[in-house]
Amino acid sequence: MSTEDAPTRKLILYVAGETPKSLAAISNLERICREHLPGKYRIEVIDLKKNPQLAREHKIVAIPTLVRELPIPIRKIIGDLSDEQKVLVNLKVE
Amino acid sequence: MRDSQEQALQSLIDDLRQRVAEAEETLSAIRDGSVDAVVVGGEGQDEVLVIGDDVSAFRNFMEAMEPGAVAVDSAGRLLYANARFRQIFCEDWDQLKGKSLSEILPGSAAQMVGKLISHDDHEAAPLSVSFLERGVERNYLVSARPVHLGTVRGFAVTFSDLTERVRAETAERAQRVANAIIASANEAVIVCDRTLTITHANFAAEALSTEKLVGARLDTAIPLKFPDATGILEVGELVESSLGGTPLRSIEAFAPMSPGAHDVLVSAAPLNISDDEPEGCVLTLVDLSQRKKDERQMHLLMRELDHRVKNTLALVLSISKRTAASEETLEGFQGAFSGRIEALAATHNLLAGASWESLSLRQIFGAEVLPYTETGSDRINIIGPDLNLYPRAAIALGLIFHELATNAIKYGALSGETGAINLEIHPRTDSPSIEVTWTERGGPPVKSFSRKGFGHTVIARSLSYSPHGGTTLEFEPTGVVCHIRIPSSDVA
Repeated sequence: MSTEDAPTRKLILYVAGETPKSLAAISNLERICREHLPGKYRIEVIDLKKNPQLAREHKIVAIPTLVRELPIPIRKIIGDLSDEQKVLVNLKVE
Repeated sequence: MRDSQEQALQSLIDDLRQRVAEAEETLSAIRDGSVDAVVVGGEGQDEVLVIGDDVSAFRNFMEAMEPGAVAVDSAGRLLYANARFRQIFCEDWDQLKGKSLSEILPGSAAQMVGKLISHDDHEAAPLSVSFLERGVERNYLVSARPVHLGTVRGFAVTFSDLTERVRAETAERAQRVANAIIASANEAVIVCDRTLTITHANFAAEALSTEKLVGARLDTAIPLKFPDATGILEVGELVESSLGGTPLRSIEAFAPMSPGAHDVLVSAAPLNISDDEPEGCVLTLVDLSQRKKDERQMHLLMRELDHRVKNTLALVLSISKRTAASEETLEGFQGAFSGRIEALAATHNLLAGASWESLSLRQIFGAEVLPYTETGSDRINIIGPDLNLYPRAAIALGLIFHELATNAIKYGALSGETGAINLEIHPRTDSPSIEVTWTERGGPPVKSFSRKGFGHTVIARSLSYSPHGGTTLEFEPTGVVCHIRIPSSDVA
């Protein structure tokens, strides 16, 4: 499936305030999506420092974690998303 | 029924497998440090725990720092920026966080700071960067130190504002350069403010006043008088005019109180330091003493030249008339007249070469007499000290020598092969005259001039302009002897 045909990704990034890894994950995700999924993504950043109870919906344990909610099935990527290839594989872009 | 039980069991197994895989991935992420917070649940309440050092103390410390300070991870991404840094680049932290330092800093500064944080094993020397901040160039000393923030390694980068110091240094240097320029100018340079108080003056300017110039009022320290033609009455008007946007150049002025030059050429230009109105005036005063002296000398020379030309024309006219009266043929007139004018010209040439100051008697003799003898001949002998004669005596003596030589060629010592001429220059004494004796010998027997022509008159009268000048002509049997008296006042 090419990038052009790909459905919109709904991505939820769970972070813990402004920890170094959280900031790195936000920065990496924005860059990867901008470069590889232009116009085909929606990102929601959830700060679990502020709302820790939101971790339950996707059973989040380690932060940062990225959840690809759409398209199903749900996929999780744990870490600061610095491994671009791993992120792209999980987002089914590559 | 059995199939549906098996399917449910398989689904449970798949779910358990996925959970185990997730748990393994989570543990691995915690172990390799790619996460720095975990969610822990207790008594139905979830809580987020940050792994690693508490970075809040570090942040508080950075916030209190006066220089701009940021914490970046090893990729240069902003993890934290204090208030001063945000003030410099962007007030909104949400726009800064996670951004790379190279995206925030302007081009060249980004490259330089990028190199600073590429050394993760050692601390690089601080470097100076400058960039425009809200349209104004500012200078910062940037230093970076490796730090651990939570689970990551990164850098603390500080931006110390050197702008004011650099500006002060630049201004100080500019001031030194300006002072050096003023000091090294050969002409007098004076800078005064709008109230005519002198703020700068070089060495040449100090020589124009008896008092210390800096701090004094221009119009009292160096009072200047201007010729009526300039329409300026005092130096204050000059300054006012230049402050009003009309610089004045090369105005002649007189400095009556100056211990140095009195005649000066003044120029005044506004001192523009900013776009506002001029803060003062820069005056240059060129010493005109030498030029004035030269002008006076030139006028003197012009008058002298006029006088000499008139005298010479009168002399030529007289020579022409007298020669015509004493010569019987046109050929005789042409020869005698040309010879006399050439004699006059020879002395003139010598005088012109000596700037019409004085001529050596030997030079005059050489110009008028030696052309009639063979080179290296011992028929001409000069003894005694040389004399330097002023133009009047030099011209007269030139004509006398010419007439004596012409006579010697025609009738005297130089008319044959064996005759000789002795010129004896007598030493100078207290007498108002100095004597020079022309003695011919070895020529044919001498008779007195049968007819006293103009040549005789020239010899007799040329030096008679002074009571102490004159000639006595004797016709000895051995040859002509001429005693020439030159006025001592015409000898240098």
